[in-house]
Order: sequence, then C-alpha cells, then structure tokens
Amino acid sequence: MLKIEHLTKRYGDVVAVDDLDFEVTPGVVTGFLGPNGSGKSTTMRVILGLDRPTKGRATIDGRVYGELRHPLREVGALLEAKAVHPGRSARNHLLAMAASNNIAPSRVDEVLEFTGIASVATKRVGTYSLGMNQRLGIAAALLGDPQILLFDEPVNGLDPEGIKWIRDFFRTLAKEGRTVFVSSHLMSEMALSADQIIVIGRGRFIAQGSVDELTADVAGTVLVRSSDQARLAEIMRSRHATVHDRDDRALSVGGLTSDEVGEAAFAAGITLYELTPQRASLEEVFMGLTADAVQYASASTEVPRGA
Amino acid sequence: MARDVTLASASHAEWIKFRSVRSTVLGFVVTALLTLGISALITSVIRGHWTTMDPLSRLTFDPVSTSLGGTLFAQFAVGVIGALFITSEYSSGSIRTTLAAVPQRLRVVAAKALVLSVSMLIVAEVLSFVTFLMGQAIFSGVVPTASLATGAVLRSVILAGVYLTLLALLGFALGLILRQSAACITVFTSLLLVVPIIVFLLPQSWQDAFSKYEPSALGRAMMSTTPPAQMFGAGTATVILVIYVAVAATVGSIAFLRRDA
Ligand SMILES: Nc1ncnc2c1ncn2[C@@H]1O[C@H](COP(=O)(O)OP(=O)(O)OP(=O)(O)O)[C@@H](O)[C@H]1O
Ligand SMILES: [Mg+2]
Repeated sequence: MLKIEHLTKRYGDVVAVDDLDFEVTPGVVTGFLGPNGSGKSTTMRVILGLDRPTKGRATIDGRVYGELRHPLREVGALLEAKAVHPGRSARNHLLAMAASNNIAPSRVDEVLEFTGIASVATKRVGTYSLGMNQRLGIAAALLGDPQILLFDEPVNGLDPEGIKWIRDFFRTLAKEGRTVFVSSHLMSEMALSADQIIVIGRGRFIAQGSVDELTADVAGTVLVRSSDQARLAEIMRSRHATVHDRDDRALSVGGLTSDEVGEAAFAAGITLYELTPQRASLEEVFMGLTADAVQYASASTEVPRGA
Repeated sequence: MARDVTLASASHAEWIKFRSVRSTVLGFVVTALLTLGISALITSVIRGHWTTMDPLSRLTFDPVSTSLGGTLFAQFAVGVIGALFITSEYSSGSIRTTLAAVPQRLRVVAAKALVLSVSMLIVAEVLSFVTFLMGQAIFSGVVPTASLATGAVLRSVILAGVYLTLLALLGFALGLILRQSAACITVFTSLLLVVPIIVFLLPQSWQDAFSKYEPSALGRAMMSTTPPAQMFGAGTATVILVIYVAVAATVGSIAFLRRDA
C-alpha cells in the first residue's frame, strides 16, 4: 500500500505540495491528475526519496523509501524528466540498475524484449526518439518486477499505438494485483486509463473518486433549441442560470434542471425544439474543479502580435 | 539473491556506469597521451641540450621527476574524469535513477569513490612506471639515469600514480559540491593554475610560506627523490594532499546528503 501522509514540500517560497494525504490501493489503476505545476512530479520524487519532504511523508507498506532493502524490486518508477545518461546504451543503463539491486542480468533482456527496444538496446540513449526513451523508462520501472509502479506522464511522446499499448499494460499490471499510480495533466487520458482518480491543484488535494463519481458531483448543463433563442436566454439569465450560445445556434444552460428550463419556456410561450440534459464531461469537471488552482493560465488563445 | 544493496552491489553498478560512457575512455586516453607524450618531449629536449646545459643545472638534475613531468599535465585530465563521474549524472538526470536504485547516499558516494580510485590507481601506476622507464631509456648514454632499485626512486614513481589518483578524487569531490561540469572544471583548473599565480604576486616571505601548499607543488614534492628545501618532503606532501581530498569529499558528501536530487 502506497500512502501519502500529510505531505508538504516547499522549495524556498514555492509550496509545491501542500498537505497531501491519500492512499493508493493495489489492484486498480490510480490516476494522479492536476494542471501543470500542481505538484505531481514533486510528489513522485518524494515517494522515491529523491526530494526530502518539508512535512509529512510517503510510505510503502509502512516504510519510507530509504528503508526498502531492494527498492527496485518493490517500487518501479518512470520519471517525467529523462533519467538516463545520453552516452550510455539502454542495455548498460539497465545492467547497472540490475547490478545495484542484485537483479539477474537476464531480466534486463526480458524487459528490453517486452518494451520492444531490444533491437536498439546497444545504441547510445542520446540517439533515441522520445517514444523510445519512454519505453526505456518503462523497461527500467519493470526491471525489479515490483508490486508498486509509478508513472509520471507516461504517454508523453508515445504514438497512438503506443498509448493504446500502455493503457492495456496498466490494466494488466493492476489485474495482477499491483499498485499502479499514473500522473497526467490530461483528464481525457485519465478517463480512459484510470479506475480511480486523485485530483490536485496547486499542491492541494481537490477530489478523489472513480470517473463516474467525479462527474456525478458536478451538475451538468441543458441543451436547448427553441423558437426564440434570444428571449429564452434572457429569461434563463434572469433566473441566474449561466447561458452559452453554441455554434450550432443551440443554448447551453447551466444551473437549472431540464424540467425548470421546460417550464420556464412554456410559461413564456416559447416552443421548444430540443431539450437535452448534458452530463458534464470529465474534462469540464476537471476544469471546474481546478479552475481556482490553475497556476499558469493563459490570458487568451490569441497569439500576441509584434508591433 | 538474499543479499542487501551492499557496497559491493552499488560498486558493481558504478563500475558498469563508469566504463560504459565514452568520456571515461576518452579521459584515460588523454591522460595517457599527456603523461607519455609530454614526458617524452621533455626528456628528449634535455637529452639534446645536455652537453650545453650549465653545470649547476646538471648538478641538481633529477632524472626521476623530470621523466615523470607529463604527470603535471595529465592532472587536468584526471580531474575532469573524476568530476564528470558525478556531474554528468546531474546534467543527464541519471542521478535520480542512481538514487532510486541505491537510496543510501553515502553508499553511492563510497561506491563511486571506490570505482574511481581503484581504476585510476591502476591506470596511473602503469603510466608512471612506463613513463619513468621510457624517460630513462631516452636519457641513457647521455644523461644520468635512475634505477627503480633505489628506494627513493621507486617511491617517487609510485607516488606519481598516487598523485593522479588523489587529483581524480579531488575532481570528484568538487563535482559533488558544485554539480556542474563547467563550474567544476573551472574551479579545478583555478586551484592548479590560478592559485600559484596569485601566490606568486604575494611578497616573497608569504610566497615561501604558501607556495609549498599548492596542489601541484605537493605533486612535485611527491615525485622528486630529494625535494628542495622550500618544499615539503614526499611523505608530508602526500598526507597534506590526502587531507585536502578528505576535506573536499566530506563537504561534498554532506551537500550530497542534504540536497534534493
Ligand atoms: N526543484 C525545484 N525547485 C524549485 N521549485 C520547484 C522544483 N520542483 C518543482 N518546483 C515547483 O513546484 C511546483 C510543482 O511542480 P511539479 O513539477 O511537481 O508539478 P507537476 O504537477 O509535475 O507539473 P507538470 O504537469 O507541468 O509536470 C511548481 O510550481 C514548480 O515550479
Ligand atoms: Mg510533472
């Protein structure tokens, strides 16, 4: 069991992780979701004993990472930043890791085969593509056949086939009873690959639950098309609903149920052509949950022009 | 498979890492070229000019330290080898892989220092003996030569290899402290080249007091059979250099223990 216990990590004035406290259970894929700079990688580094927590701790079956006898055989990790010397071959990189934790060298060939980089294993890592690097990182994580696996932004640099492969692979690992903890800043990715999701923002815990639970918490919108969209929009606004004009000339109404919208339209004598309750997409839930917590929000999507 | 992550396993891993990058191999090649090449050059020039050299120079001539002269150039190469062994881990991010595999940080430092000093000592001793013998062969017939049968001569040749090994460790210790290759190489070369210049600018009495503490002056003392009066004896010089390395390594280890990776 991987436990994050009231973990706080400060870098100077920056609070990267702020009193995070949660458990990651074995047997399911747990997503670790948050916008850029929300503290996902920092949490992963603290779990691995690389960064020292300011307060609290992260434990693996009750022990901190430094107390593990053969850490690579208990915890495998794919870190976000490349953690390989570019001048070394993949094979030598893995052989050194194996030697340090008394893992048989034959295991190196197994994981190289499994991740599909055996044919380039003797080439210098500096010549690898982003995807090949990612596969090497996965091979390194699997090297000690650990029960707990951490993946920081694993789909970065993978092609669609690779992404599909990795999702299936996470499921397989979880089915085998392992703890699979995967970070991402993309809700859509998490929706497809994770069973449980932990959402953080600005280093703080925001929500935890299954995809269904997280979407149920947030009220959806109602899609309306009618004979008089302008007047209907005005009436909706007067009832403190949020109204968005959609490109297809339908209105998206938030804050009211479909019953309330239908009755209001009837009372005003407006004919409804369509009245569809929309379930919040996971992406909307995420945006809603983390709206206050986004650190690097863009002012607009327009590219600034030179004078 | 029941073994723990021991110093032996950690050292095995470090050995694989050390030998599997080009910079190490290149570093050793440059070390060998500088030691042998410069020594060959110096000894040949002396042989050519021996008959025209002034009598005092001939009288105080030391065939041992002169034949080992290339060592004082190779010291830069070994410093770089030592520094890169740790700084390249920071620049590439592989330090995270290293520490995830061996979370006991002092064990990582010990394993690296062990691999570095053993491999450097072997290479440097072979180079010292080959350089010495090559120099005597070049001198023979014209310039007086020395023999390994003499205790002081043997000591000087052995200490030349020890000197290079200690400087590699000094480079490594600076790498632990500074973490950046460029900064490390700058500080290392400054210690060896710039500090002597600064000392040279001091008043004569200060020069006499300080110059013998410079790392390369210690090196020259270690390599000479009869160090001049203003220098330390070979044994004392070795001890002082070991203290430098130990202090730098202690500071480096403390920094390495405390910092986030
Ligand atoms: N070594 C460090 N020194 C100083 N600040 C840091 C350091 N590492 C992270 N931070 C800061 O801590 C915060 C969290 O960073 P972190 O990398 O953990 O976020 P993240 O969730 O992984 O983001 P991303 O999705 O961009 O990978 C950021 O504000 C970051 O700038
Ligand atoms: Mg990150």
